[in-house]
Amino acid sequence: MSDESCQLVLFQVGARVFATRATDVRRIAGFFPDDEPEALAETVLGRPWEARRGLVVDSAGEHTVLVDGVLGLRVVSDSDILSLPRFASDILATRALEGFALLDEVPTLVVDLPTLVREGPSAEGAAPREEKTPHA
Amino acid sequence: MAKQDQGSGAPDAAHRGATPSVAEPDLWYFAVRLGEGRYAFLAPLVTEVVRLGPLTRLPSAPTFLLGVFTHRGEILPVVDLGDLLLRRPVRVGPGTRATIVHAEPWRVAVLAEEIEGLVHVPKRRVGPPPAAQAAGEFLQAVVPDDLGDIAVLDMARLVTGARARSVPA
Repeated sequence: MSDESCQLVLFQVGARVFATRATDVRRIAGFFPDDEPEALAETVLGRPWEARRGLVVDSAGEHTVLVDGVLGLRVVSDSDILSLPRFASDILATRALEGFALLDEVPTLVVDLPTLVREGPSAEGAAPREEKTPHA
Repeated sequence: MAKQDQGSGAPDAAHRGATPSVAEPDLWYFAVRLGEGRYAFLAPLVTEVVRLGPLTRLPSAPTFLLGVFTHRGEILPVVDLGDLLLRRPVRVGPGTRATIVHAEPWRVAVLAEEIEGLVHVPKRRVGPPPAAQAAGEFLQAVVPDDLGDIAVLDMARLVTGARARSVPA
């Protein structure tokens, strides 16, 4: 019996660690605001503290999702990726949360980056946010 | 639709036709407390009570959806009933226990202030929820026992109400 595996890119937004399928990431970029003024900062994942990196996604053209850092790659078995529980998917407005990868038995959210890009900036982005620093 | 209309403790075939005083059917509920209020799910929907594990928060989740935790390799959403029903969050600590409710297609770990446990009520005493009842939109019935009324929660209504509260108009 074969068990397919997939590569996940782990990244950080604020204090939270997320994962996304490596196949959804065209490249990882350093972020220079002058080069990419349209980069997506505020998403349902939150707003990055320092936005040092960008995950470049191919979704009807190239789009950059700003993150605080890229933590590395993990290879996991497909069976280790679990769907979002039905109650959560029924309640949450976003469709960009694919499910969870059990990494060292800790459920880590797997983000569907193309969907995140399609959904665009979070409505929360319009609201004033309390500024935080990573070391606060 | 969830299997909300199922009760447990209905008399078996051997008892049908017996006198009401002997064979009066009971329904079993699993009750929890929020403040002075008593709430319940139909007992067959409650699969177990577990100690709450470490939570993984969900981004953009409403406050009553505290996150998820893993239980025997399964990811379970954790719902704060106090916050959802009464807008009064339950205090979560190391010893907090969650009631796991499975009403197809939902499987949810529910937090309340106190777990009361199983109660049984004669089926004939099951009544409709009063319109003015707190959290009435989530209820399918009200059942009285010796300690007072118990508001019976309907998972489908809970999800509909939760969705309405989580998506801004």
